[in-house]
Amino acid sequence: MDDIYLITILSNIGMISFIALSAYLLLVVGEISFGQQAFFAVSAYGSGIATAMWGWPIWLGLLWGALVAGAAALVVAIPTVRLRGLYFSVATLAFAEMVRLIFEIFTYQVEIDGELVGPDGSDGFRDIRAIYDSNVSAFEYMLIIYGLLAVVLIGFLILERSRLGAIFRMIGEDPMLTEMQGLNVTKYKILAVVMAGIVAGIGGALYAHLATYVEPKIFNVMLGVHALAYGLIGGLGTAFGPLIGVAIDIGLLESIRAISGYRMIVFGGLVAVLLIVRPRGLLDEAAMHWLRGRWRGLIRAEN
Amino acid sequence: MPILELTTLTKHFGGVHAVDELDLAVEEGEIFGLIGPNGSGKSTTVNLICGVVSVTAGRVAFEGRDITGSAPHRVLAAGVARTFQNIRLFGHLTVWQNLWVAQNSVEDRRSENFAKRWFFGSGATRDAVDQQLEFAGLAGKRNELAANLAFGEQRRLELARALATKPRLLLLDEPAAGMNLEEVHALDGRLRALQQAGMTIVLVEHVMELVMGVTDRIAVLNFGRKIAEGLPAAIQEDPAVQQAYLGGGVETAHA
Repeated sequence: MDDIYLITILSNIGMISFIALSAYLLLVVGEISFGQQAFFAVSAYGSGIATAMWGWPIWLGLLWGALVAGAAALVVAIPTVRLRGLYFSVATLAFAEMVRLIFEIFTYQVEIDGELVGPDGSDGFRDIRAIYDSNVSAFEYMLIIYGLLAVVLIGFLILERSRLGAIFRMIGEDPMLTEMQGLNVTKYKILAVVMAGIVAGIGGALYAHLATYVEPKIFNVMLGVHALAYGLIGGLGTAFGPLIGVAIDIGLLESIRAISGYRMIVFGGLVAVLLIVRPRGLLDEAAMHWLRGRWRGLIRAEN
Repeated sequence: MPILELTTLTKHFGGVHAVDELDLAVEEGEIFGLIGPNGSGKSTTVNLICGVVSVTAGRVAFEGRDITGSAPHRVLAAGVARTFQNIRLFGHLTVWQNLWVAQNSVEDRRSENFAKRWFFGSGATRDAVDQQLEFAGLAGKRNELAANLAFGEQRRLELARALATKPRLLLLDEPAAGMNLEEVHALDGRLRALQQAGMTIVLVEHVMELVMGVTDRIAVLNFGRKIAEGLPAAIQEDPAVQQAYLGGGVETAHA
């Protein structure tokens, strides 16, 4: 029992990490999105439809969910990336609420073994049973979640050292100056939004299959706000930052029963304090630079 | 044919005529000074050339090609680089990265190789960056965040970054602002070295020791209009220029 409890918490941390990384990527390019939950939702529905209704294997369902989320992100990106600051935030919020409201009325059901399966408006989408039908245990599914998270995280670490990653940080710091380096900022921002959509989508697809049930109200704006806060708590200097934020929130505040009642109070307070003391989070760019310097020093001392 | 030609270039901000029917021709290989009192339209002129602000009327031609209203990244691709009056660097990136991306944007932009184009650039690019760090005297600071550099180092990095894009025309917006005399002399030497290497430079500057020493020709702006143009010695003697800088109240004060 305790084991299952632990596995559930760890699985939740893993899944939420994807949406946190998604919001983090946009924070790196200097945009605050209140709408990453929409891509999480689109993929949860999309992958659920693929496995439960079309009978696709689970891995294909996950891939499909991520692709649908990426496509949705592209549709959002093209008209919105030219907006700056608050306008971009409001546009993403409006889009996410639009998606949620569409799922409130979206009904698409087919009869399988005498039962109706599929999204049923505000009643949600039940019986996404792919992992139970194929006898994947909760522990094994947790390993799948962390396997995918490791792949995405390695991708982020490579990005961090790459030209594309440097360009994303440049755009976050000074988009006009980036443009004057001969780089098409709009194009790179669209790319960032699509990548963020895909990352959120992986989390959404994993979520739908673990929960077996999704309904529109899960994907309300609080999910997106949390996703943003994780990066701002953990730090914007490294992809480990948002993961630290998730671990603090879900690992400590939500899971320790004695304090879980005060979760939102502590969480809100934490965000408020950090925004004043460390506006770019615990592991911000300067902290990461210092850590990397220490790391290089250690390696040199070893040799 | 002049390398840079402005024809009746005009910019209105509401009712303010920041740049007013400006004609200017910069010849290839010269260091051209652009001076004038505060608010005379020098920086706006640079911004108009670079496509940072939109042109109200007139024309900008670079190497005979019309680049009026081109997006900043296209102006850079055409071969025009600039520095800023207020230093603008990517403070969250290292010194090395600041130069690497600028370099990359030219060298590897058209590369067919996916990894080169998006991820790590080519070895040649990396070597070139190391050389530029050497030239700028920043080799020892390569892994430092640009935000942590001293003022003079930041100026040098900004110039190095502009040069990394291999421009044929360099627009310098008050590069000597805040420098001490020794640093101004070092900058003077650097500009002459660049001219020797075939670079054309437009120098917007208030520090007259630098402008009068290093430029081949000078144009003076006041209230967005060109009030004088010529050799440095002639400009110093020009009564219209003296009046623009010192004000028109000299005679009345005697009267």
